[in-house]
Amino acid sequence: MSVSLKSAPAIYLDYAATTPVDPRVAELMIECLRPEGAHGNPSSGHTFGTRARAMVEKARQQVAASIGARPECIIWTSGATESDNLAILGVARFHADRGRHVVTARTEHKAVVDAFKQLEKEGFDVTWIKPGDDGIVRPEQVREALRPDTQLVSIMHVNNETGVIQDVAAIGAICRERGVAFHVDAAQSAGKLPINIETMNIDLLSLTAHKAYGPKGIGVLYLRRRPPLGIRPLSYGGGQETGLRSGTLPTHQIVGMGAAFEIGEREREADVARITLLRERLWQGLAAIGGVELNGHPTERVAGVLNVCFHNVEGESLRFGLRELAVSSGSACSSGSDEASYVLRALGRSDQLAQSSIRFSLGRFTTEEDVDRAIAIVNREVTRLRALAPAASIPSA
Amino acid sequence: MEPEYSPTVVDHFEQPRNGGRFEAGEGVIRGTAGSIAQGTMFVLSARVVGGRIEEVRFEAYGCPHCIAAGSWLSERLVGLTRDELRDWRWRDADQALQFPKEKRGRLLILEDAVRALSGAWAPQHR
Repeated sequence: MSVSLKSAPAIYLDYAATTPVDPRVAELMIECLRPEGAHGNPSSGHTFGTRARAMVEKARQQVAASIGARPECIIWTSGATESDNLAILGVARFHADRGRHVVTARTEHKAVVDAFKQLEKEGFDVTWIKPGDDGIVRPEQVREALRPDTQLVSIMHVNNETGVIQDVAAIGAICRERGVAFHVDAAQSAGKLPINIETMNIDLLSLTAHKAYGPKGIGVLYLRRRPPLGIRPLSYGGGQETGLRSGTLPTHQIVGMGAAFEIGEREREADVARITLLRERLWQGLAAIGGVELNGHPTERVAGVLNVCFHNVEGESLRFGLRELAVSSGSACSSGSDEASYVLRALGRSDQLAQSSIRFSLGRFTTEEDVDRAIAIVNREVTRLRALAPAASIPSA
Repeated sequence: MEPEYSPTVVDHFEQPRNGGRFEAGEGVIRGTAGSIAQGTMFVLSARVVGGRIEEVRFEAYGCPHCIAAGSWLSERLVGLTRDELRDWRWRDADQALQFPKEKRGRLLILEDAVRALSGAWAPQHR
């Protein structure tokens, strides 16, 4: 059995790290790059420029529509990391003379965590909320963290490691009531959950294309314009995007993001229904191995992510044994460190269990066959490694 | 990124030799070191015949290097006398398996398991 499985191609179950570009999106991007496409600078007034500008504005509308926003609130960036930094540093620095207190959670993405650490270095006071063992930040925790000098709260919509969904609408309502700016990193929820910046009381929202079947290198910051929210840019230059993000707009990337978000919104319900069934099939198969536990809340989670820990299996050996599967331990965005996931540690998992945790993430192109093969491979390796391990207590000979 | 694994490590990790253990009995010795809680544990058991190790079984909890080291050692120890076993040192495994520097501490646990094994080798096991 092992020979046939090992000679088969790798199975991609790492959609939370990045998704393949949808072929329909790729086609539109390629069209854009051809000589007769849209090579003009969208900021130029001639016909080449206005043609490109029209494509950029169409994409702006597509992304805006997917989150219930007006197009003028959409700022193109290079991705969610830049959007997070622009939102957090930009708002905190702009309002620093009014107060230097900001609030976030310990389980946020690195792009948020490190932006807040930078604010700490600049003299801001950061409250780091610890979620429950299920990964959920209770809205009341946010209310309790707010102070008269609080300027900004940043809580992600869906956690990138566990897939746990936060009640951002309730948190947003608390922030709105207290007049505190509310930022949401929605990199993992776009195309997976409905997002509406009005009903969710969101002031700033980070999006990226490459986790929603669009290209890498393009993202969006939604910024509330009415009433205007003060924000300071991170970089300076040609003054594009109302001076908040200078730099020539990458038309083909923007077209790709717009198309990906339009398709994502149109097909969201069907996609989610299919992926939920696949994830359930995967979970049933993994649970049957035994000694397997789900990380994070059992039901408040997105369809595609399954983060599980395997008891009595050493993490590095498990990952090496599973190298036919493209999966993640912790977040791909912070791989390179041998440390246990800070997200799983914040959920109360021991270092050892955090290291023996694997994130499986499924998506639009995952098949039942992929899931069944993955279950067989995991079963084979976990069983093999457990059989080689000493029993918990060994009587001396 | 995961560490590099030498071809010998990959070979022993994928096809471990002599996994398991000998149950207590005539001529059987056993040595244990480390713990699952600390992330690395070895259990070595050996059958001694005629003053030499005839067969070894290993159990290991740990990284791929550790599993490979347990497997490799189960072949390496065959034929050793009590004195030779007592004198075995971790560098022997390091040379064969090319442990990354930061993992060499785990070979000391393996050496401890070998010492425990030689300590269990009473003179009556001949």
